[in-house]
Amino acid sequence: MTENETSVVMLGPRDRLIGELYIEGNLRVSGTLEGQIEATGDVDVTEAATVKATVAGREVNVSGQVNGAVTASKKLVIGRSGSIVGDVRVPRLIMQDGASLSGNVSMGPKVAAEFAQAAAADASAPVEVAAATQSATDGETAQEKPKPKKR
Amino acid sequence: MDTQHAVADTAPLEANADGVESRRDGANKITLGPGDYLEGKLTYNGHVSVQGQGQAQGEFRITGNFEVGNGATVKALIEGSNVTIKGDVEGMLTARDKLTLGKSAKLNGDVTVKRLQIEDGASFNGHVHMGSVEQSSGS
Repeated sequence: MTENETSVVMLGPRDRLIGELYIEGNLRVSGTLEGQIEATGDVDVTEAATVKATVAGREVNVSGQVNGAVTASKKLVIGRSGSIVGDVRVPRLIMQDGASLSGNVSMGPKVAAEFAQAAAADASAPVEVAAATQSATDGETAQEKPKPKKR
Repeated sequence: MDTQHAVADTAPLEANADGVESRRDGANKITLGPGDYLEGKLTYNGHVSVQGQGQAQGEFRITGNFEVGNGATVKALIEGSNVTIKGDVEGMLTARDKLTLGKSAKLNGDVTVKRLQIEDGASFNGHVHMGSVEQSSGS
């Protein structure tokens, strides 16, 4: 915790969360989750997990079952044991053979631009928080930004 | 008849063996290359491949595999067993077995598939309906 400013929430196989979760950090779910979750960091839904919720995160990995809309500001990976029933909104989507998906898929540069705008709007408002998360994720953000055409 | 390829490398039996797929083993194949254009309705017992800058438009219902190569453009209703996309595709798509979107693929349209694989870099907008989905049993 001292090294990383971002927090990590882990839900084990016997854990259950029903409600709404907002977390500035990463989330790893192996249990049951119902409601609404949003993480500023990465969301990992493992094989044992059952999620009936809208899921939002930066990088979302799904190896379990998700019932609900999924939004990822960076990318979504659906593993071979993963299953999503719901609409998906991501700039990048990787789907492994064997994975299952039913719903609408919106992706590509347009979606990426929307997320970039939203991030810019977020960053300008809360100064302290933005600075903290920025330093923690600096190394990655430098790589992931697709060099927008600034003129 | 797989051995034919191996044999052809060392001793080509037919002069046109490299240009035209063997039609005697039932694996018919249409290949559209750069500059080729196909428009209309095609019901076909075999494979269709659109390569290079090839273009196709219309309705294609084929028993075999449908392939859209990098740089190719297809605006069509597509129905095939295995559909592999590396180019631009617009339209309704049905893959009786598997749909694969390569890293250079751009797909706009609703798909009905049994299996779906999407590589990083591919772009897809549309609705996905998965038919007989294999659920991995157990926890």
